[in-house]
Amino acid sequence: MTRHLAARFGQALLASFGVLTIVFFIMRLSGDPTLLLVPEGASIEQINELRHQLGFDRPLPIQFLAYLGDLAHFDFGESLVQRAPVLGIVAERIPYTVALACGSLLVAIGIGIPAGIMMAVARGTWLERVLAGFVLAGQSLPTFWSGILLILLFGVTLGWLPTSGADGIKALIMPSLALGAVAMSTFARMTRIAVLDELSRDYVTAARARGLSRGQALLRHVLRNAAVPVVTIAALEIGNLLAGAVIVETVFAWPGIGQLAIQSIQSRDFLVVQTVVLFVSLVYVMTNLLADLLYAAIDPRIRMGV
Amino acid sequence: MRHIAAAILALLFAAPAPFSTTAWAQPKDSLVVDLPGDVATMDPQIQWDTDSYTVYRNIFDNLLTRDVSGKIVPQVATAWRYTDDTTIVFDLRSDILFHDGSKLTPEDVVFSVRRITNPAFKSPQLSQFDQIASAEVTGPNQVTLHTKSPYPALLAQLVKLSIIPKAYVEKVGDTAFNQAVIGSGPFKLKSWQRGVQTNLEANETYWRGKPFFKTVTFRAVPDPATRIADLRTGRADITRGLTPDDAVAMKNERTLKVSPIATERVAYLFVNALAGPTKDKRVRQAIAMAVDRDTLISALQQGYAKPTNIVLTPANVGYVADVKGWPFDPARARALIKEAGAEGATITFLTSPVYDRRLNEAVQQMLDDVGLKMTITVVDQPTYLRRRLGTPEDAGSMSQGRWSCACQDADGVIFPLFRSGSVWSKFSNAEFDTEVDAARATLDDAKRIGHYHRAFEILRDEVPGIGLFQDEAIYLMKRELAFTPTANEAFFVYDMKWE
Repeated sequence: MTRHLAARFGQALLASFGVLTIVFFIMRLSGDPTLLLVPEGASIEQINELRHQLGFDRPLPIQFLAYLGDLAHFDFGESLVQRAPVLGIVAERIPYTVALACGSLLVAIGIGIPAGIMMAVARGTWLERVLAGFVLAGQSLPTFWSGILLILLFGVTLGWLPTSGADGIKALIMPSLALGAVAMSTFARMTRIAVLDELSRDYVTAARARGLSRGQALLRHVLRNAAVPVVTIAALEIGNLLAGAVIVETVFAWPGIGQLAIQSIQSRDFLVVQTVVLFVSLVYVMTNLLADLLYAAIDPRIRMGV
Repeated sequence: MRHIAAAILALLFAAPAPFSTTAWAQPKDSLVVDLPGDVATMDPQIQWDTDSYTVYRNIFDNLLTRDVSGKIVPQVATAWRYTDDTTIVFDLRSDILFHDGSKLTPEDVVFSVRRITNPAFKSPQLSQFDQIASAEVTGPNQVTLHTKSPYPALLAQLVKLSIIPKAYVEKVGDTAFNQAVIGSGPFKLKSWQRGVQTNLEANETYWRGKPFFKTVTFRAVPDPATRIADLRTGRADITRGLTPDDAVAMKNERTLKVSPIATERVAYLFVNALAGPTKDKRVRQAIAMAVDRDTLISALQQGYAKPTNIVLTPANVGYVADVKGWPFDPARARALIKEAGAEGATITFLTSPVYDRRLNEAVQQMLDDVGLKMTITVVDQPTYLRRRLGTPEDAGSMSQGRWSCACQDADGVIFPLFRSGSVWSKFSNAEFDTEVDAARATLDDAKRIGHYHRAFEILRDEVPGIGLFQDEAIYLMKRELAFTPTANEAFFVYDMKWE
């Protein structure tokens, strides 16, 4: 088990390093930020002087080695736009994104899983059709659109919730709904399939034959077995939530790392982008690792290597 | 189902905001500003982007400033005089205090100049100040600047020179200063939550008098629709960066007013005179006659722009009104293209997502109508800049631009855009070079206007660029807020109050 864990951990680090390398070179191949930093009308000498001062006139492999050297000392460098340590800039934003991810997961799991179970149990009835419509809407409305609609309804027309910003729990509700909607639909669909699959198994029939009610069979046996695929989805969805946060954070002026990523990409603030990417890929890889461990906890067959 | 959806949408958009004035009402002595982005640096000597200077210029005093009409007037300097073409002496106020109580001295002014002009400091603003050769204290309240050569735009540049406290900066260092700036301006930095908001509080002992607002909050709200929602619900009092379409939609809001101001920013089309089919002067002239400015202004800008005859706005020194722009004349354009044998020639229009896509497409239609074939090449902004500033062969035949030198002087516009040897220029004309060089080398305004007059005549005939319109900055604010926007897009909260 320990060896398995160590191997997976090594793979995770390797994947993050790969992502970092790709981002480093792609960002630099599409142009350096000197031209974006100088005011209009700067002469070629002035542009070259700034480029030299910033070190972008060095060969790319040299720049990469220098970056890796700094990274080995946990030196993430200084933002060339904000002139402040990158680690601080990114760290300040993480709590906001974590709060948003938690809120969205709450929406996704809190609504998605019960909806999925209901759809499975009420298969073929009007209830399933209504829920299916709801799930479809959550899946297909793009967040930049649903976000604006939420703002207009709950912020402007009803005046219940703040239209933007990050002050307090009230401000978290709309971004969580907008971001959680897509994941909610995924959870509902996956739960429905998993529960339907388990309901048709022999052990359910056996349990019913022992005198358990449908509800008891569902609660005691089916849900536990249906949980494995749902846990996988949860791990994958955390990655999707981080990706979706880029748009939702922009619409709601939520100051998380998604918004930071957009700003930094636009201004070619390389070191900030690289650190954000490193963080996101580590989160992605780690949640997948965590999902692996959870399987083992849920399903003894995996633990025993069957 | 579709009807229900339509009804919900109609309800959402048409309904008034019943709780808007009460739900998020602010105390009367505070102002909340929604900006598209956060402050990049609080240190005024590093970034000069609109969001940053909108905030930090309220914390600092500048050596000089502009009044509402755009005239350069005293601020830290009370008077100035040239002793020769490259030496200028400034008399300074002696009653200004920084927020930490220390006195603003000539040493602080000299320090501010030397810091921003030091290449090792890596200020992106260096190019605006690097004509200054040296600065020294020459009296108890006097500073003398020397320029490398006669430099007529110097005063316009010094409007942007924030005076920073030497002792404090040297004590805490550049990084700490950027985090917790101290200036001498009407507002003090209270807190800066990066990416979220900046809180300023009034400097009660400000030398020009106590500010009207006790506190000011600048919030970073990237999405324009969200900024408008904030204004409608009273969460913010003023925002900027509205599109003309937003402005039209907001015109009938009961509690809000739309306030546009013609800026020094000129919208123009670049035409490559050194490569491709536009190397032929007749093709360039034909393009100038094929573009219908008035339609662009009415259809795309919803009237929020003023047509311009040249690649410069009346807000700039060196503007000449009597050099006529090319008339819209598609028939003559077509004939000229035929004469040049350029029918069906491919015009590559290089652009990036930063620029208004609709304008590209409108120009494409206009050029197609006179017999050219325009293809639009969209690349990301750094790539666009790399190509546009690279060789003529790689720069595309045309592109659009919105140019502002933030100095309100022709020297900052047509010199970099068209002087041969400049990175932006894809044009070479010895006579034009002589005129703009001469205008740069004299401090005599009348002589400068004469040189620019001739320079604009050459540009008219040669068409290395086409002036389209004077861009307008559009603000949305509460009706009861008194604020007169200015051409240089300064955002001095000190000049605002409730009516």
